[in-house]
Amino acid sequence: MTEKKEIHLRNLEKLFYPDSVAIVGANKVQGTVPHDILKSILKADFNGVVYPVSPKEKFIAGIKTYKYVTDIEDPIDLAIIVFPASVCHMALEQCGQKGIKSAIIISAGFKEVGPHGLAKELQIKAIADKYDMSFIGPNCLGVINTDPRAKINASFARQMPEEGSIGFLSQSGALCTAVLDYAQAKHIGFSKFISFGNKTDISEIDLLYYLKDDPKTKIILMYLEEVSDGQALMKAARDVISESGKPILILKSGRTKEGAAAAASHTGSLAGSDEICDAAFKQAGIIRCSNMEEMFNIAKAFAYQPIPKSNKVAIITNAGGPGVLTTDAAIHDGLELASFSEDTTSILKKNLPKTANIKNPVDVIGDARIDRYNIALSAAFDDPGVAGVFVILTPQSMTDIDLIAREVAKVSSHYDKPVYTSFMGEADVQEGIEVLQRNKIPHYSQPEYMSKAFAAVYNFSLNHYNHVKPAKYADIHPEITSAILNNAVHKNSDYLTEETAQKVLAAYGLPVLDSYVANDAEQAVELAGKAGFPVVMKVLSDEIVHKYDMGGVVINIKDTNEAEKAYNSIIGNVKKLRPDAKIKGVLVRRMIPEGVEVILGVKRDSSFNTVVMFGLGGIFVEIFKDVSFRVAPIDKKTAESMINEIKSSALLKGARGSAIRDIPAIVDSIQRLSQLAVDHPQIKELDINPMIVLEEGNGCFIADAKIMVTLNKS
Amino acid sequence: MERSEVESRVNKVVAKVLKIEESDVSKDANFIFDLGADSMQSMELVAGFEEEFNIEMDEDKALNVQTVSDAVDFIVGSFK
Repeated sequence: MTEKKEIHLRNLEKLFYPDSVAIVGANKVQGTVPHDILKSILKADFNGVVYPVSPKEKFIAGIKTYKYVTDIEDPIDLAIIVFPASVCHMALEQCGQKGIKSAIIISAGFKEVGPHGLAKELQIKAIADKYDMSFIGPNCLGVINTDPRAKINASFARQMPEEGSIGFLSQSGALCTAVLDYAQAKHIGFSKFISFGNKTDISEIDLLYYLKDDPKTKIILMYLEEVSDGQALMKAARDVISESGKPILILKSGRTKEGAAAAASHTGSLAGSDEICDAAFKQAGIIRCSNMEEMFNIAKAFAYQPIPKSNKVAIITNAGGPGVLTTDAAIHDGLELASFSEDTTSILKKNLPKTANIKNPVDVIGDARIDRYNIALSAAFDDPGVAGVFVILTPQSMTDIDLIAREVAKVSSHYDKPVYTSFMGEADVQEGIEVLQRNKIPHYSQPEYMSKAFAAVYNFSLNHYNHVKPAKYADIHPEITSAILNNAVHKNSDYLTEETAQKVLAAYGLPVLDSYVANDAEQAVELAGKAGFPVVMKVLSDEIVHKYDMGGVVINIKDTNEAEKAYNSIIGNVKKLRPDAKIKGVLVRRMIPEGVEVILGVKRDSSFNTVVMFGLGGIFVEIFKDVSFRVAPIDKKTAESMINEIKSSALLKGARGSAIRDIPAIVDSIQRLSQLAVDHPQIKELDINPMIVLEEGNGCFIADAKIMVTLNKS
Repeated sequence: MERSEVESRVNKVVAKVLKIEESDVSKDANFIFDLGADSMQSMELVAGFEEEFNIEMDEDKALNVQTVSDAVDFIVGSFK
C-alpha cells in the first residue's frame, strides 16, 4: 500500500468518527448549505462537539462561533468546509495549520466548471498533501455515519437515514438525496453514506478499502459516473470481496459507444466502453445493476437475509398466476424449484384444503388466511431440500394482509434460510409491506424480482474472486516481438503485414502455420507446392486491411494450375480496386482443415487498459456479436469462462452430435494472447479472425491475423 | 482622487453593506473569508462601489476583486 493510501485510511477513521467538528464558513441564513449542514449535525444528535467557524457571526443556533478555525483552542478532528470555492484554499490552509487531518469540502465550483476551477482544485490538493490531510469532495453532498458511536450527518441531505449495514458511495450528490428518500420510505438503513464528488483526494478506491474493514458495513453500494482507474477498481473489489466477503454492487452510468465507431478492427468495434466495463466488473466479482431499484432489490437480500445454501427454492402463493410467473422467472434466473420431501408433502396434504396445490409452487388458494400461510411456510422451511422461500400474496377480501406479514417475519426468524416476499398490489397491501420492511424481510413489488435477487446472492456465494494468477510461459520470445513492433513504430506503420503479424504471434507460441511470400505467379506455384496443397493465397499490402473485400484472398487452391490463376486474380483485383496500394507480394500458406471458426482479439481501453475478446469467428462475427471480454492478464479459469459465456459455445462442445473441439487449445491461445498484449503496449488492436478450432486433441490454427500498432505521435 | 480617500470611502461602503464596524475592515481582509460576505452581499458590494465612485465594474473583472485592497486598486485604476 502506498504511503498516501495509509494516510487516507488513518484520516478516514477520524472523518467518520470525529470527536470534534468545525464547520468552516457557517452562517445564519436558513436554506443555505452552510446553515443546513450545521442544522443536520445538531438534528442528528452528533456524538461530539461542534464548532461553527464564521467570519461575521458571533453565534449560530445558540452556539458560539469562531472567526477562524485557528481561533479554536480545542483540537479538531474534522473540518467541513462550506465556503465558496474562491476561498476554500484559504480555509484549508488554516485547517492544515490547525493540525486538522480530515476534511469534507462541500463547495462546488472546481473542475466541473472548467480550467479555472481545475486550477483551484489542484491548489487545494497541494495544500492537503503539504499537511498530510485527506479530504472528501469537493462538489459533494457530504458524509453520514449512522453508527451510534458517531451519529454524524455532515451533509445537507434532508434527513438522517436509519442505521443499517449498507455502505453507500456516490459520485453524484443529487442522486444521494433521491436514494435517501427512497430508502427512508422502505426502511432501508445505511452504515455509512458518502457523496465523494470530484474525488480529488480521497477516491472511491480509498473508500472501498475503508468499508472493507468497517465492522458496521456488510454490503457496499456505489453509484459511479466514470471509472478513472479501472485496474485499481478491479484490484480493490477483489481485495474487498476476497478478504471481507462483502459484496459490491455498482450502478454505473455513461453507457456510451464512443470510441467503438472509430475502431478499425472487429475487436475494436465490438468492444465498446460499456461492454468492457461489464466484463471487468464481472471479472472482479462486482455486481452491476442497471437501475436504483434493482440495486436495492439485491442489496436488501444481502443485507437482511442469510445466504442461500443452494439454488432450490419453494414458492408459496395464494394466487396461481403469480406463482407461475415466479416459477418462470426462477428457472430463467438459474434457480430450481425444490422437490418436497415425503414429510413435507404429507404435512401439506393433511393441513391444506383439497383444492390447494401441495406441490411446488404451493398454492394455498385465494381465501387463505394466516393459518394456511403458517402451515406452508413452516413445512417449506423444515424441508431439507429447500434453500429459500418466496412468499407471494394477492389481496382478496378475506386476506388478513398484515397478520400474514407478521407471520412471515415470525416463522422465518426461526430458520437460517432466506425468505423473500412479494405482496402484489399497491394500496391494500401497503400495511403488510410496512410490517415486512420494519422486520427486515425483503419485499419486492414484482414477484420476479425475488428470483433475480436470490440468484445474485447465490451466484455471488459460489464464486471466490481471488487475484488472477496468469500462466507464465517459458517458450515465448518477447525479444523477437519487441524488435518487430519497435521497427513498425519507428517506420510509422499503422499495421503489420500479415506475414509480420504471424511472426509476432508465433513468438508467443500462438498456433500459426508456416507461410511464404510469392512475388510472381511462377514463384507462387512453386511455394504452393512447398506448403502442400490445398493452399490459401492472400495479398500482402500495408494499405489493405480487409483483404476479402478487395478480392485479395483465394482459398482452397488444389493444384499448380489453380495456384497460377489465383495469384494473377489477386494481383488483378487489388490493382483494379486499390490502384494506390503498394503490393508487397502474395502470402502462400497451407489450407487449414475445416473446423469451428473463432475470433480472438485485443483492444486498449482508457480505464481498464488491456482487454481481450473471444467469440464466434469468421465473417459473421459482427452480425451475431457472440463475443465475451475480459481485462488482461487472464488466467486459465478466466479463459475458460470466456468460452463458456458465448451463446455458441455448444458448437465447441459437440452440440447435436457434432465433434467436440479442442477447447484446451483455445484456452492456451487466449492466455498466450493476453500475455503478448500485456507485454507489448505497442500493440494498439489485434484481431485473430478466424482461428480454426479442430477436433479434440488436434489443436487450433490461426488463419488470419491483423495487428494495429500504436504510433508515437510526438 | 487620492488613494487614501478611495480607501476611506471603500471602508465605509464595506462596513455599511456587511453591517460591520469600519474599524474591522482591514486592508488585506478578504470579503468572504475574513469579513463573511455571502453571495448576495458580494453583489451589493459591487453595486455599492459603483454608486459611491460613479464607475462601472465589469462582471468578470469584479470576480478578481477579493480583498479590500483589490477593490481600492480597481477603483483607483478606473480613474486613470
